[in-house]
Amino acid sequence: MSRKITIDPITRLEGHGKIEVFLNDQGNVEKAYFQVPELRGFERFAHGRPAEDMPQITSRICGVCPTAHHMAATKALDDLYKVDPPEAAKKVRELLYNIFTIEDHALHFFYLAGPDFVVGPKAPKAERNILGVIGKVGLEIGKEIIGMRKQLRDLMTLAMGKTIHPVFGLPGGISKPIAKEDQQKFIDAADHAVEFGQFALKLFDDIVLKNKEYVDLVTSDTYTHKTYYMGLVDENNKVNFYDGKLRVVGPDGNEFAKFTAHEYLDHISEHVETWSYLKFPFLKQIGWKGFEDGPESGIFAVAPLARLNAADGMATPLAQQAYEQMFEILGGRPVHFTLANNWARLIELLYAAERIQQLANDPEIVNPKVHTIPTETPAEGIAVIEAPRGTLFHHYKTDERGLITAANLIVATQNNAARIALSVDKAAKGVISNGEVDDGILNMIEMAFRAYDPCHGCATHALPGEMPLVVRVHDANGDVTREITHG
Amino acid sequence: MKPLILGLGNDLISDDAIGIIAARRLHKKLSGRADVVESSLHGLALLDLFIGYDRAVIIDAIITGRVPPGTVMEMKPEDLRSSPGPSPHYTGLPEMISLAKQMQIEFPSDIRILAVEISDNLTFGKGPTPVVADAITALTKRAIAYVQRWEDEDKNR
Repeated sequence: MSRKITIDPITRLEGHGKIEVFLNDQGNVEKAYFQVPELRGFERFAHGRPAEDMPQITSRICGVCPTAHHMAATKALDDLYKVDPPEAAKKVRELLYNIFTIEDHALHFFYLAGPDFVVGPKAPKAERNILGVIGKVGLEIGKEIIGMRKQLRDLMTLAMGKTIHPVFGLPGGISKPIAKEDQQKFIDAADHAVEFGQFALKLFDDIVLKNKEYVDLVTSDTYTHKTYYMGLVDENNKVNFYDGKLRVVGPDGNEFAKFTAHEYLDHISEHVETWSYLKFPFLKQIGWKGFEDGPESGIFAVAPLARLNAADGMATPLAQQAYEQMFEILGGRPVHFTLANNWARLIELLYAAERIQQLANDPEIVNPKVHTIPTETPAEGIAVIEAPRGTLFHHYKTDERGLITAANLIVATQNNAARIALSVDKAAKGVISNGEVDDGILNMIEMAFRAYDPCHGCATHALPGEMPLVVRVHDANGDVTREITHG
Repeated sequence: MKPLILGLGNDLISDDAIGIIAARRLHKKLSGRADVVESSLHGLALLDLFIGYDRAVIIDAIITGRVPPGTVMEMKPEDLRSSPGPSPHYTGLPEMISLAKQMQIEFPSDIRILAVEISDNLTFGKGPTPVVADAITALTKRAIAYVQRWEDEDKNR
């Protein structure tokens, strides 16, 4: 009764990434588009549900970053019910949020960027994967990566109930305090993570920065766009993932705007294109000028490099050193090289580890008072948080009973959508000529968007077999002349 | 040793909920005979769930476009094509298995996949489409049959 079926990725495209490349008569790129599908019906689904359910519901949107949605939703509930959580609750939330960020950044770097930078962008496709990375850095380090992620996930389970769909955030606080006897586990994990962060940066230094070919790749024009950058900063304009104000800097690095989550609609608008389900956010005060970079275009970027560009530094000493080193080597702030996101990500990983160290050692972290009961009538709640892949907004409106009447989420990939489109178009133009396309060229185009780690469809789950990405090449008549499937 | 029954999917997204729904049905039916787990995780993060088991059944949604929605297919991991993939969101099962081998992690040596052909994996909240929902009984029966077969094998050993 068993049937043997070999899955051809080409048939499983619904819900996955697509790049369409249009060539002119000479076989050069006229235009390249990157498309991702969008989930339907979230707003309708949320309508009429109690707002308190949003941290649970939205954490199911993505199998990769549930904690980011959970925390954004929890903060939106604080705002909705106009309640200020006790200090201990805020600190525990920030502690757990930084643990999540480390775990996610480590996964991205070693699993996703690692194949390009540790194994090499031109290495055979079969080696450009996590196995190739482990082959290069050694089995012990591979075990260390998996072991550290497990230690962090276990702590998230301890404090948040479940790692995957946390039952943790409440309007006005959190569901349970950290027990005094568990504090040491967080301190130990923090020390471990700081060592790991330093190791990861050293590896980046040894393997990437000491290799001229990689440095040339990172700084090449193909992967460069001079756009605006946005990220959350604390009261000293230092990077913060959990809370603060949004700061936007221009392509020249000067502050362009600084605003609270509530003011986001005054600053950000969305542009619609016929070829994409994704809307393209842009800076309202500059305006939408098409897919162009430069100070006259309202396109901005989010995610690690954008956060470092938008801040004046890091709030912890080792990360600050690494921050200064990066900008010194890459020619000062802001850095416009998309592939430098990988470096920025590791600096953020070290910052998150140091921040955990600070918070885990804070006596307040085990204070049992972690919840303030909300008493106000709800109406509207807006929150912003820095997800690993960039700025994430949650915006809800409710009736006086707290039932949702409107819900809008702007996820990181959306905030980055215009710059990703720029990157794919530029990379395609840079690497395709005379209609010649092969697997190596495909990888070079992929690298342009992989640095952002876009979330394809953000919830589209499919059997864990492969993630096909298709590149379709159209000739000047619009006919498909070539179709390459990565997978 | 008890096998792992792993229902995958997203219970908020139409047909993508099918693996989760099947796992919920199996909780009671296989109580004491298998560890039934449901998960919405992707990729490499799933690795943790398999550690320590020697047999596993995965129940998940699939879109092949070759069979009518609601069709239940049985597969082994080697039937799925491995891919480095452009994102850690989508680590392939074959890749996870070779990683586990290389790292000497205790990973199931016998993994069976029950995949249901689905039609809608993009719509929030309305539950599975009727034709896909009809596959639940077949899915749970086949999962139980695997557990039974493994129990018989152990008895006859």
